[in-house]
Amino acid sequence: MHTIDRIAGATLSLFALWVIWESRQLPLGTFRVPGPAFMPALLASLLLTFGVLIAATGGYAERFRSLRWNELPHATAILIVCVFSALALERVGYRLTVFFVLVFLVKVVEKRGWLITAIFAVALAFGSFFLFYTLLRVPLPLGPLGI
Amino acid sequence: MKRILISVLSICAIGFAVSQAGAQETFPNRPITVVAPFPPGGVADLTARPVAAAMEKILKNPVIVTNKTGAGGAVGMSFVANSKPDGYTLLMALSSISIIPEADKLFDRKPAYTMDQLVPLALISADPTILVVPTGSPSKSVKDFVADAKKRPGEISYSSSGVYGTLHMAMEMLSHAAGIKLKHIPYGGAGPAITAVLGGHQDTLASGPAAVVAHIKGGKLRPLAGWGAKRIAALPDLPTFKELGYDIEFYIWAGMFAPRGTPEPVLKRLRDSLRQTVQEAAFKDAMAKLDTPIAYLDAPEFQKFWDKDAKMLADAIKRIGKIEEKEQK
Amino acid sequence: MLDTLQNLYVGFSVALSPTVLLYAVVGCVIGTLVGVLPGIGPLAGISLLLPASFGLDPTSAIVLLAGIYYGAMYGGSTTSILMRIPGEAASVMTCIDGYEMTRKGRAGPALAIAAVGSYIAGTVSVVGLMLLAPPLAAFALRFGPPEYTALLLLGLLVLAYMSGGSVLKSLAMAALGLLLGMIGIDTMTGFFRFHYGLVELGDGIGIVPVAVGLFGLSEILLTAGQEKPPEVIKPKLRDLLPSRAEWRDSAWPIARGTFLGFLIGIIPGSAHIISSFVSYAVERRVSKHPERFGHGAIEGVAGPESANNSATSGAFVPMLALGVPSGPIPAVMLAALMVHGMSPGPLLIQQQPALFWGFIASMYVGNVVLLILNLPLVGLFVNILRVPYPLLYPAILVFCVLGVYAVNGSVIDVWIMIVMGGLGYLLRKFDFETAPIVLGVVLAPMLEMSFRQSLAMSSGSYAIFVNRPIAATMLACGLALLLLGLVPFFARGVDWRRAFGLSPSSELEKEDHR
Repeated sequence: MHTIDRIAGATLSLFALWVIWESRQLPLGTFRVPGPAFMPALLASLLLTFGVLIAATGGYAERFRSLRWNELPHATAILIVCVFSALALERVGYRLTVFFVLVFLVKVVEKRGWLITAIFAVALAFGSFFLFYTLLRVPLPLGPLGI
Repeated sequence: MKRILISVLSICAIGFAVSQAGAQETFPNRPITVVAPFPPGGVADLTARPVAAAMEKILKNPVIVTNKTGAGGAVGMSFVANSKPDGYTLLMALSSISIIPEADKLFDRKPAYTMDQLVPLALISADPTILVVPTGSPSKSVKDFVADAKKRPGEISYSSSGVYGTLHMAMEMLSHAAGIKLKHIPYGGAGPAITAVLGGHQDTLASGPAAVVAHIKGGKLRPLAGWGAKRIAALPDLPTFKELGYDIEFYIWAGMFAPRGTPEPVLKRLRDSLRQTVQEAAFKDAMAKLDTPIAYLDAPEFQKFWDKDAKMLADAIKRIGKIEEKEQK
Repeated sequence: MLDTLQNLYVGFSVALSPTVLLYAVVGCVIGTLVGVLPGIGPLAGISLLLPASFGLDPTSAIVLLAGIYYGAMYGGSTTSILMRIPGEAASVMTCIDGYEMTRKGRAGPALAIAAVGSYIAGTVSVVGLMLLAPPLAAFALRFGPPEYTALLLLGLLVLAYMSGGSVLKSLAMAALGLLLGMIGIDTMTGFFRFHYGLVELGDGIGIVPVAVGLFGLSEILLTAGQEKPPEVIKPKLRDLLPSRAEWRDSAWPIARGTFLGFLIGIIPGSAHIISSFVSYAVERRVSKHPERFGHGAIEGVAGPESANNSATSGAFVPMLALGVPSGPIPAVMLAALMVHGMSPGPLLIQQQPALFWGFIASMYVGNVVLLILNLPLVGLFVNILRVPYPLLYPAILVFCVLGVYAVNGSVIDVWIMIVMGGLGYLLRKFDFETAPIVLGVVLAPMLEMSFRQSLAMSSGSYAIFVNRPIAATMLACGLALLLLGLVPFFARGVDWRRAFGLSPSSELEKEDHR
């Protein structure tokens, strides 16, 4: 009986146990003088309790198998693009990063035409940069080539 | 499309070649970044901006202030410490620059940066902290205050900008020199710490004068003494701890640093520009508005000042030790 | 009173002079532009644009900043309603019902009500600020660590009334959020907790990347891959304005939100963020149809939006009356004043009457400008929804990255947003609500600090929480609320599992995404 609540509750409990384990290196303190690990340990115990309760009472929740994951490929692609943008932002600069992100999303993921992709990507990458960096002076990273 | 790409690339290549070639000729030939490791509106930021404005005119190149904040300034400082030593990335740091590596040592952490990763360029300002109590407090002088603290050790509470923060250090030096024990309640910044004293929740604090002078003049706070070697201009009647026989000295200072390894000619150019900066009328005016005295020192003297200051802070941190363990005893 | 009017007249004559008025309008436009970026609310907006004001004369600078501040405030709600991306932490609650309204083709009314609610709240709270500042400020200063702890505990109780789903799941999410809030340097001892070698985590994980990730990014992840594009009903022209019923439903929430927000706002600290959460919970509690919340209830937009606007005006009370930097936004404003040679302090009003009253007047002016600016813009903004989703979401994604990065100039924040986006996606697949996590992340550092400060003040005695009248009163209120909430569990004939939303008989409404 793998219901979504059972799986979620179990995962939360495991996470809570891990936090308690990680807190062991910090002084716990006492009830009167709580140390740095006091609140994390307390909260993790609460999370553990809630997680166990969710798992215990979740027998009637929806089955895990009945979850549909049809948007997962798209979601994964988008997350990969996000990871790329985080890696690239300070290395190749804002404009190029955004340009590549948009080209990938619009052309490869959404399969639009080259023309619309190019116009859209260039307009948004350079337009948003001009508006926020040049006009509003919001600091954005420049690449090694100054763009 | 391809043609566009090729032309874009070639333009970039030319630009790159030009900038490389130019780098060998004169410094500076492109924008300089001054990193303020604290948020806009903080002392580092407010000092960095007029300095940058004046340097811009002298160096004939844009000087841009960016705020890289986090972890009590460690993020911005380690960013500069680890950046390319070409003189185009500079740091406007406060006294806390000497505290963070010591605190890292205390907790056996991998240090975010070490002090010898940075070379000092110039000290810009130094402001002694002052000890203030609410007007309703029974302590009228340092003598009263110390006597009171000796009568009830560990009961007089003081607020600070944060644990191991500059304001904590100042009070630690005082309690060590006077042989008293006070109760430390850290807050998340100098602003909340002052609010806590104004609200009567804590008994006292050490603060930079600029932040409290208006409250003193408004009759809400009473100053007891200052940490400086000399009296401060805004409060000429206020004695210093040195005058009162406590051998302590502490300043909240702001100074400019560059990453170690920056070529000597570049360093010289930067130092010269800073020497000119502190004489600019616009700069003096800006600092006067902030109620912050200019205390210019060129690199060699600044290095001496910094070494002394860092040693004093290191001693204070060692005395404090890990707080949790102390309270357990 | 007469004095006040006379002073206000002076203020208006400052604020309505052509150049100053121009700065107010420019500030409002800039603020709106920056505020539309995900994650950039009033605080980040002012911090980013503060340096730009250094070259101006004091009055223009303060007026410009006030304009930016209000613009960012209004701009923040736009993305929350249209795209479920919180413009700032305080707009999180607006996302929930605002976006549901958008999906039902009621984006126009939601935006209009948000603008009108913000306008009313802004104006009324400025009146409050003007007339009541000195006595209120003195009261606000009495909030020390114990009072703050009690207030935040009360804020946590709000959770129980906040969600429509399972209480148990909400509690688990709140615990998770509070745990995430534990990351960073411990303010009391200096221990660096859960950092895994990243210096950037020193100040903890920011609320902005968490909110944008959990709400905005997770929404994109869930929707972009749907076989048929998301069903957003394109609004017709006549649907742009709220209907008579919607106006009626919003009136009281706006009034309550304004009042609540102002009260919470004047307390020094960062508590103003919880005003919108509290307002949402109150509206849900007093509503005759609480089941509509979470499915596009206009009250769920009107209340929180008014509350967060008046809370931030309330935060100016201690700043202007006493010169106390009572929260992050007033602190930045005070810094701006200092740059122009004004020392923050109790004498600010006497020493700089033109500036003070000019500031007050420009807050009125700013609100009017924004209302005039925003109501016609509703039509324009709603048209953004006509952009096909395959083009819209890449653009939203870019703006999420831009906004989150710009707040601190930190890539770590972008990483946090990505992780939170993935987490939010999974949690929503598993039928969890993500708002309690945001509330947890907001409250955790403040709660822990004030709790431990209180104990340090009393040398470990818990009596400090009951000996101080304000703290004790608030704790008693909290206890009463808690007991009231528990009554159904002890009443006979009620299935306890139903109360927790776990029983098969209370088949929960599933989110449309699955």
